[in-house]
Amino acid sequence: MPDTLPLSVQLSWLIPLYGFSGMLLSLPWAAGWVKRNGPRPAAYLNLLVTLVAVIHGSLVLRSVLSLGPQHLDIGWFTAADLNLRIGFDLSLTNLAALELVTFMSLVGQVFALGYLDKEWSLARFFALVGFFEGAMAGVVLSSNLFMSYFLLEMLTLSTYLLVGFWYAQPLVVTAARDAFLTKRVGDVLLLMSVVALSAWAGSLEFNDLYAWSGSGTLGGLGATLIGLGLIAGPMGKCAQFPMHLWLDEAMEGPNPASILRNSVVVTCGAVVLLKVMPLLRISPVAIDVLLVVGTISAVGGALVSIAQVDLKRACSYSTTSYLGLVFIAIALQQPLIALLLLFSHALAKAVLFMSVGSVITTTNCQDLTELGGLASRMPATTTAFLAGAAGMTGLLPLGCFWSFGLMVEGLVPEAPFFALVVLLTNALTALNLTRVYRQVFLGAPQPKTRRTPEVNWLMALPMVSVSVLVLLTPLVMARIDRVPGIGAFSAGTALVLVASGLAGWLAGSLIPLDVLRSRSLVRPLRLLRDLLAFDFYTDRIYRATIVAFVAGMARITNGFDRLVVNGLVNRIADVSMASAQSLKLGVSGRLQTYVFTVVIAIVLLAGSLSWLGG
Amino acid sequence: MLSALLLIPFAGALGLLCWPGELATERIRRAALALLVLQLLWSLRVLLAFDPADAGLQLQESFAWVESLGLDYRLGVDGLAMPLVLINAALTLVSGICTRDLSQRPRLYFALLLVISGAVNGAFMARNLLLFFLFYELELIPLWLLISIWGGANRSYAATKFLIFTAVSGVLILGAFLGLALFTGQVDFSITPVTTSQLGMGTQLVLLGALLIGFAIKIPLVPFHTWLPDAHTEASTPVSVLLAGVLLKLGTYGLLRFCLGLFPEAWALLSPALAVWAAVSVLYGSLAAIAQRDMKRMVAYSSVGHMGYILLAAAAASPVSMLGAVFQMVSHGLISALLFLLVGVVYRKTRTRDLEVLRGLLNPERGLPFTGTLMILGVMASAGMPGMAGFISEFLVFRGSMAAFPLATVLCMVGSGLTAVYFLLLVNRAFFGRLAVTPSSGDALADSRLEVRLPPVALRETLPATALASAVVGLGLLPWGLGRLSEQATSAMARLPALVAALQGGGPLS
Amino acid sequence: MPSSDALVESLLAGRTLLADTPDHLLQVLDVLESYGDVLDAYSINLIYQAEKQFLNPFPVFRFLDGDHSPAKIWRHLLHDRINFEYAEYCQKAMLWHGTGGLDAYLDSEAFAANCARIVARKTRRDLLLGVLNPLFPQFLGELIRSAATTHALGQFWRVMSDLFLDLARAGRDGRVDSIAAVVTFIRDGLVAAAGAPITYAVEIGDERFWVLPPEAGLTFLADVAVPYVEAVFLRGTPFLGTVSFNAQAQQISPDQARFAYGALYADPLPTMGSGIPPSLLMQDMYRHLPERLRRWYEGGLRGAGDMRVKICMSFQKAMFCVTNAAIAGTFPHPLDSSDPRERAANRAYAAAWAARLCVARTDCLDAPD
Repeated sequence: MPDTLPLSVQLSWLIPLYGFSGMLLSLPWAAGWVKRNGPRPAAYLNLLVTLVAVIHGSLVLRSVLSLGPQHLDIGWFTAADLNLRIGFDLSLTNLAALELVTFMSLVGQVFALGYLDKEWSLARFFALVGFFEGAMAGVVLSSNLFMSYFLLEMLTLSTYLLVGFWYAQPLVVTAARDAFLTKRVGDVLLLMSVVALSAWAGSLEFNDLYAWSGSGTLGGLGATLIGLGLIAGPMGKCAQFPMHLWLDEAMEGPNPASILRNSVVVTCGAVVLLKVMPLLRISPVAIDVLLVVGTISAVGGALVSIAQVDLKRACSYSTTSYLGLVFIAIALQQPLIALLLLFSHALAKAVLFMSVGSVITTTNCQDLTELGGLASRMPATTTAFLAGAAGMTGLLPLGCFWSFGLMVEGLVPEAPFFALVVLLTNALTALNLTRVYRQVFLGAPQPKTRRTPEVNWLMALPMVSVSVLVLLTPLVMARIDRVPGIGAFSAGTALVLVASGLAGWLAGSLIPLDVLRSRSLVRPLRLLRDLLAFDFYTDRIYRATIVAFVAGMARITNGFDRLVVNGLVNRIADVSMASAQSLKLGVSGRLQTYVFTVVIAIVLLAGSLSWLGG
Repeated sequence: MLSALLLIPFAGALGLLCWPGELATERIRRAALALLVLQLLWSLRVLLAFDPADAGLQLQESFAWVESLGLDYRLGVDGLAMPLVLINAALTLVSGICTRDLSQRPRLYFALLLVISGAVNGAFMARNLLLFFLFYELELIPLWLLISIWGGANRSYAATKFLIFTAVSGVLILGAFLGLALFTGQVDFSITPVTTSQLGMGTQLVLLGALLIGFAIKIPLVPFHTWLPDAHTEASTPVSVLLAGVLLKLGTYGLLRFCLGLFPEAWALLSPALAVWAAVSVLYGSLAAIAQRDMKRMVAYSSVGHMGYILLAAAAASPVSMLGAVFQMVSHGLISALLFLLVGVVYRKTRTRDLEVLRGLLNPERGLPFTGTLMILGVMASAGMPGMAGFISEFLVFRGSMAAFPLATVLCMVGSGLTAVYFLLLVNRAFFGRLAVTPSSGDALADSRLEVRLPPVALRETLPATALASAVVGLGLLPWGLGRLSEQATSAMARLPALVAALQGGGPLS
Repeated sequence: MPSSDALVESLLAGRTLLADTPDHLLQVLDVLESYGDVLDAYSINLIYQAEKQFLNPFPVFRFLDGDHSPAKIWRHLLHDRINFEYAEYCQKAMLWHGTGGLDAYLDSEAFAANCARIVARKTRRDLLLGVLNPLFPQFLGELIRSAATTHALGQFWRVMSDLFLDLARAGRDGRVDSIAAVVTFIRDGLVAAAGAPITYAVEIGDERFWVLPPEAGLTFLADVAVPYVEAVFLRGTPFLGTVSFNAQAQQISPDQARFAYGALYADPLPTMGSGIPPSLLMQDMYRHLPERLRRWYEGGLRGAGDMRVKICMSFQKAMFCVTNAAIAGTFPHPLDSSDPRERAANRAYAAAWAARLCVARTDCLDAPD
């Protein structure tokens, strides 16, 4: 690292440490060492370090804009032919993602201060968010696979701890565990690939790996398996079918964490996928799998979200859906579109979830069928929902409209099927959001929504700020995508896109709304509805297959261990009754007996030795 | 210098036993702790004198003892033994500190603790096969007594089982050592690799097999493991800490030092089978752990699983995997000691370790929140979460073994994934939810009205666990210290099979 | 745990719900004293918020009670303060459950007219509100309702704080020496304040506007105390830390009237855990605990380690006494009436309460500590 670089760039290794330091700073309050005073200082300290991270990130971004991409590298551990490094890739893309992560973390923390205002364990929450933010900041900047894996796994851990935040709540007990294990499956598969690549390719630096994958030294089954392992990690992180279960479970956690999870955590997963993408040329199968998984997630997620009666879940399944589209874009070698989509989705989804959080906090309710009529009373919440919904769908000229336009335009000539997937997802999302909006904000107030003043300013301010940002997204996107420009698609494409959005909106406006805890009387409709509402029964399928398998194997092993292995030992012991008897005597006896036994043992030993020597 | 590491504990034990007059338990405990602190400080002094750049034996001391037997008093440490000596000193101190409510014979208890520590030091430092064996056996009787006097309800069964298993292990090891002397005709019992020119491959395999089974019992590896869960369940917390943290390492140390070190060629021949054995052991231990209800048994089975990684690493015998084996020994020592300490705290406060009974222990005022927090940290470390000692060890083991045995390595990684399964079952059952230490009545309303009164956990009770947890995180974030300490020695060991093969027929090694 | 019938008999016979033991008396008197101290601060702040932070979009300093000295701000940054968030939580619960006379008035024509006047005056100067009001016509009205509840709760707690501190003095003087005397003291206090008017006016510029005018005829007991007991003692709101909000899990009743999350139902054990709002109140009382009770708690198995759970347990007992007093003070007819119709009415009233109380945490009533 030459000295001529600005200090902000030279010190950019500090950026992930800000978040982690926030965790350490919260410790006195989180651990309960401060007995008399409340936990808020921990929150303020975390906000402060996150603010520093945002500022530092933007300084680095400015330097990189003028100086070009930079690389920062520190050795961590070397042994024999293994060289593990901490590396930062300060490219524009990574820094943009970093700014998104740190900024959303900042906004999410302010929101949390309002949402969790009567939470005594505030310090623990902020400590975990600090940990979360540090890991995410590291993941997006990481220049090697080892560090990416290291931090992704830390994200899994912090997701577990955040979902488990309300650890005494009965559903959290299982939800946190299942969320962790689902993600962990992806992580272990990723670890297998990381280890294999480390063993065969030598270096884990992304640049070295790209070169190695081009050399074609590895082919066949090994390459395919490595490719599949590499995509398994991001699949887990981005909540793609069939590893999307954790996102649903994670909804048991606090809403501010859900904001981060649904916007930036999934983005981190996708950024890692973008980084390993050039490697995947060794494994065409992995790319096909990406396409299949992306398509199923996009359409399946959108369909499932339509059948949800839970406000949080109705919004969270669309995350699976949008990340499915990102997967498709990445698999079809459209990294720029993937980035634009990620960016516009992250902001829109964040503001949507803030609105959801504010609805929950005022109504004490997440059941769509018990909500209604909030629009005339909650301006910030309503605006935020509308902004989020508009930013997510390709209807009004906001973020996703331009991303979808570019994507459809690019896909029509080569892969028209995937263009259709995009349009269908857009229509279904529009349908879902329209339906949710009608149910929550329009109509007559229900008992639980009769008295609903707007939320406090700590929640309203972030909501409004991000809403404004969502409206400004196209300007930011235009700066990211100078060539060919975000409007580089034909009027026909725009028309088709708007038509799909409009169709969804119309359908969403017309379909009958859910009534409290009722199900359709038409049997096929009811079955379909249940199938979607229960997420294709994914959790039950898991329970019947993999969980049952592992549990069965565990039972068999344990039975074998007790009956066969241990039984055999006991049988042998029974046969040699005499010796066992004398030993038992020793156990029940007094000290003299022990000493006697020791002496006997030593004499025996010495005797055998002298026999040998003699 | 090294002899002091034997002198301190042995002389201390003798002193404790022979000190005239009545001594209060607390004074005996303090004296023993002082001796253990001294031993730790001396071990650190040895560490300072140790040169990591040198792959060979250092600080050697030797004089002929029973010459007619070939029993020389020869001590020395290298990069493999040094970390283990340190771990021994640290964990014996921890187990001394966490000894509380000693109901009977404090003098004998602490003397035995010191004897074990000294014997383990001796075994790690011995440069003579018979000397190693003496120390290896010497640690057996005290541990048997520790379990059978201060153990749980079913202690005599567990202690007897332990004694029989370990005695068989000793006989096998002694047999192999004697056989080696007998067949090669060299009765100096030095640790020198044998070549096929000295000894036929068939004989080598037989001797190696005896040694392998001998150490596999001690480690323990499936199917020789059944003494371990019983011993742990019945042993008191400090003894479990010692057993899991230090004594099992005698087995893995023996595996590396004697199985691989004496028979490199036969080892290389057997290694594919050993890798499979490792994978079976890992999966078997992990699956059996999932089915456990007793927290301590679960941790014990997880030990069975995690010791399998060391066999895998030793089978692959690459420089990285050998270093990984050392890392895994150290980190398993720290993590399993931590977990046993925490289970011990839970048991002491709630009088149960049953996972079907314990719930909600994270409760901040009435539960064991700090213990719970450390427990989460401990199980995450055990499950190989980055940033903690378990991860770097497993990564090194897997990375070093992947090229040689991809399938077995992948299966071991599955075992690492299963670790998360059973430990999350443990944490989420015992620590999450509404606090209760009685079986659920099935009626949620009644359960929500249970009154729970647990004795408070004093700060000093969690101090040893806090120290271990810091060590686990410290080693996970800054692994280079241990790496530098052991790398030369482990790399040299990894080169051994190739070296011996190259020197085949080129005369005996010096 | 007493059955519903046993509770009815106790109430009709004028027996106290809480067993009369010296330990109980000590806990109830002292915990109510610290509660009185805390309520004093809550009440002052709620009234300050309703009057001085009225329709302020960014009430950053709303907990400072108008004292913007650096020392006070620094103490707030260190969170060395009463947790006023709990007072807001109770206010929100009261507003959201919306029962009783105050709530009915908030939906009346007269209130709407008051609101309209205030909004017209307020939007004249305030650009933000001027834009938002036509777009979201009920936005300001809802905020004014919230402010009205805030003020009413502040007035209610003023009375209760004084009552509890008086009770503590009476306890120290020896005038109150049994649980029965505690219940009687509180009942008398409630009855004395029953008819006190609840009014609320705000000043905008230099003009004064009535939000809850005297003509509305809102009174202490019927229009604020009873809804407060309903919203906070009985119904409450589900705690995020113990109840899943997941709609599919259907853990929360769609009918608010069937909620049983209030102070008389809550489980004290998870106090100070995450997602348990009353932890804030327990912490506040912990900071104001009388020395005598503190020493008494320190004699327990965990000493000071679980003091806040023990405060919560004592608090629950005290709240049963307050409920006991409220029931005693609101019987439709004198308990010693000989008219069978009056007796039947009393019995029906007691039965209605007993039906709700018999599933509450009545197991604490006979527990020794």
